[in-house]
Amino acid sequence: MGDSPPLLKGTLDLLVLKALSWEPMHGFEIVSWLEQRSHGCVGVDDGALYYALHRMEERDLIESEWRLTPNNRKARYYRIRAAGRAHLRTEGASLERYARTLADILALRPG
Amino acid sequence: MGRSRRTFHLSTRDPSSARRDMRDELSFHVEERTAQLVARGLTPAAARAEAIHRLGASWESTEDRLGDSAEQKERRLNVRERLAELVDDIRYAIRGLAARPGFTAIAVLTLGIGIGANTAIYSAVDALLLRSLPYPEPGRLLDIVQSSSDEGPAPWSYVKYAFFRDAQRSYAALAAHADGQVILTGQEPERLGIEEVTGEYLKALGVRVARGRDFPPELDAAGGARRVALISDALWQRAFNADPAVVGTSLSLNNEPWEVIGVLPPGFRGLSGRADALLNLTARPADGLNEPWSLEFSLIGRLRDGVTVEQAVSEAGLIGPRIFEAFPMAAGTLTTSKEPSRWTAVARPLDTIRVASGLRRSLLVLFGAVGMVLLITCVNLANLLVARAVARKKEIAVRLALGAGRGRLVRLLVTESLVLALLGGAASLAIAWAGTRALGAINPQETLRVQGLQGGIGAVGFDAIQLDGRALLFTFGITVAVGLLFGLAPALGATRASLVGDLKDGGGAGGSGRRLGASRRVLVVAEVALAMVLLAGSGLMIRSLGRLLDVNPGFDGEGVLTLRLSMPPGVLAPDSMPGFYDRLQEEIAGVPGVQQVAIADCAPLSNGCNGTIMTFADRPESATGNAMVGVHWVSPNWFSTMRVPLTRGRAFAGTDRLGGPKVVIINEAAARQYFPGEDPIGKRVGVYQGGFHTGAEVIGIVGDVRYGTIDSTARPDVYISYGQARLSRMMVFARTTGDPSSLAPAVRAAVRRIAPGAPVFDIRSMSARVGAATAQARFSAVLLGLFAAVALSLAVMGTYGVLSFAVAQRTREIGIRMALGAERASVLGLVVRDGAILAGTGLAIGLVAALALTRVLRAMLFEVTTTDPVTYAAIVVLLAAAVLVATWVPARRAARVDPATALRKG
Repeated sequence: MGDSPPLLKGTLDLLVLKALSWEPMHGFEIVSWLEQRSHGCVGVDDGALYYALHRMEERDLIESEWRLTPNNRKARYYRIRAAGRAHLRTEGASLERYARTLADILALRPG
Repeated sequence: MGRSRRTFHLSTRDPSSARRDMRDELSFHVEERTAQLVARGLTPAAARAEAIHRLGASWESTEDRLGDSAEQKERRLNVRERLAELVDDIRYAIRGLAARPGFTAIAVLTLGIGIGANTAIYSAVDALLLRSLPYPEPGRLLDIVQSSSDEGPAPWSYVKYAFFRDAQRSYAALAAHADGQVILTGQEPERLGIEEVTGEYLKALGVRVARGRDFPPELDAAGGARRVALISDALWQRAFNADPAVVGTSLSLNNEPWEVIGVLPPGFRGLSGRADALLNLTARPADGLNEPWSLEFSLIGRLRDGVTVEQAVSEAGLIGPRIFEAFPMAAGTLTTSKEPSRWTAVARPLDTIRVASGLRRSLLVLFGAVGMVLLITCVNLANLLVARAVARKKEIAVRLALGAGRGRLVRLLVTESLVLALLGGAASLAIAWAGTRALGAINPQETLRVQGLQGGIGAVGFDAIQLDGRALLFTFGITVAVGLLFGLAPALGATRASLVGDLKDGGGAGGSGRRLGASRRVLVVAEVALAMVLLAGSGLMIRSLGRLLDVNPGFDGEGVLTLRLSMPPGVLAPDSMPGFYDRLQEEIAGVPGVQQVAIADCAPLSNGCNGTIMTFADRPESATGNAMVGVHWVSPNWFSTMRVPLTRGRAFAGTDRLGGPKVVIINEAAARQYFPGEDPIGKRVGVYQGGFHTGAEVIGIVGDVRYGTIDSTARPDVYISYGQARLSRMMVFARTTGDPSSLAPAVRAAVRRIAPGAPVFDIRSMSARVGAATAQARFSAVLLGLFAAVALSLAVMGTYGVLSFAVAQRTREIGIRMALGAERASVLGLVVRDGAILAGTGLAIGLVAALALTRVLRAMLFEVTTTDPVTYAAIVVLLAAAVLVATWVPARRAARVDPATALRKG
């Protein structure tokens, strides 16, 4: 998705948390989930995803463990923690406000 | 936080495996992505390339960078988890300790005492023995003494110092110095501590004047130089109100003007630690300075760059004999042996003579003793903790069964003992503070001298003892060490417990319980043994103190007030002195409450009286060698005032005046030593002081008075009457009714009326002087006694604890025995025998250790050997009795066991 727009700073963490708020997922599942839900409009850099996961694990927003996939493959699953949900709520709300304001301003027409 | 991560457990913990995991995770990701892209129609190779490309520049760089990131994350998480665990452990420990307030209080209290005492003694050891001297590069400072083959170390005369100074090549700066006292004359006469020094004194010490300038070098050339002085910051503040224009003004010392050329830096009081002024030594008249055997100066030198201490030491050894060759001893000069003595010079690092060796020894002994007290405290706590571990073994077994690691459990238990130790350490600060205050208040100079502990550098004093950062660091270190010491062994023991046995066991006599019981017995034996060592040491010191207090010093000081009086030179014409003494005594005798007044030049037990040689008119000098005697000036009634018995002949009379026939009184020791089998009365002797060398008649013999330290027997002494000699140095002895100290102001006022210009100082009762003479012995005995008492009570507590526990564990067994017909007496015997075995083993080990260790006390003991059988017998009986009392209570409890109840309960 090289032609998709770049991700706003700080939004990747929120998107990942949002994905994980459904269910525990491994890294590739998170990327695919975001690609599907954004219809290819959000370009997630696969490498950046893992940095974000490390960062959030360190901040106790998520935790991880090795599990088997439905196809019996070993994969590292990430799960959102209480602190992560709280983070998603507050940061998500403020991002939403920001996005709405941005959209409103862009919708203004001269005259 | 960390806790939930533990429940949702990740198998990898160490950072390198985090890197491995990251690689696996990435491979999985690439495979998944590749499969997705292939499904969308890409060739497998292109799909894989695209998958890798989406992660980063290349597979290697991605793997590398994300590996780093994962590793770092893991490391941080680990640190956080450890901290969280620690907080958990501490919380657990505090909860546990709060649940047992009795145990906690005893532990904190005993630890507080043990650690506090150690900190206090450590502060003294640090200030007096360890801390580096307060001069730059103190290791480069050397003290140089002369040393003779028969007299040992001796000071220098000025000319010999000058010879050494000119011959040496080792020192960048070298100075002679001597401390003394002068009277600051003015409206309010004041006694000042001073040091007479040569020009390079400050340069050698590495001290710079705060204002003005140092001694100019040309003053060192000869005697009779200009009188110049450097004054201490304290004197500058006190006498000059910190006047910046002090330099160039004049200071009147002993009625002579001294030009102030500078002010010393704050806090610097010379090597003596008491100097308020440094005076130019060469201001003395040249003839005195040129007397080669007028030995009174010390030498301090700072090594030249590149010269080692060893080189300076060997150089001194080479120069010393040359000095003696240059200034041979005149025939008939002071010497105690008939062999001609050989002299040399000895250089030694200043640091090695910082305190008297006797003081060093007492401090180290006390340090050892407090260390032992702390060790007993630890053993006792270990003992209590083992008991606790036994009580908790089921809990521990459950934790082990649930998968807690042994290391984790040991950490938990040790955290508990560390928390306990830290609480004790905090409590100890109060004791350490009080202890250092008490030690710092010891007045060193006088107290040490009268006990023969003089020497050392005055600047290294007890007043430097304080609870400072170093002491606090020591406290912290020792606290942690103690926590590990008494916590680790029980923790290791407790977690070794067998799983199955303890889980099945209801808390009675289980396998591990018995093993822990055995380790407690070992601890009790150790406690008894340590207590034995401390009791033996303190017993010996107390016995020695008893002997010291029993010493008859030869006089009766009860109710006697003493004070010193210093007459500024030149105030009294020598011939008017006898009349002055009479007037002074009459005036003081008029004070209500004063019964008798006398004067003498030096107090008994002051260990600093002067002496000289005595010759005998009827014998050639070669026959006796030279007899050394102490010389004492007294007023005629001094003997009756001090209740010194006259054993033969007559005492001085008012008629023995200047110009009349010279008479002396000798003591019994002199009579014994110099007139064996003869009657000394009527014999003529020469005494080389006070003009008595021309001959005087012995008119009486008095009892021996101890003038040196209280533990040294009286030496031969000669008494001269103030009526016949001219001496401005004097001390007043007033026998009073009631408390002598209460008369001090009235007596002082009486002195002031007669001698307004003479400072009165050192007013003390004679009993206080006697007390000071035994102060160190009392100090050591009291402290060691205190430590031993603590040790004894801890040992008793330990024994009691172990035996009660054993009885509680064996209740069922005892019940069975009694049900089977055992007598109560035999049950009693069973427990008592148990205690006796513990006590006996401890006593035996302690006895051997005590015999070995108390040898360090030898030099501190007076008329008591370190193996004194009476002391040892008393200590063994005391300790055995105490331990038996501790066994009696549990034994009685065992004997009262009701078989029916015991069996039902089991």
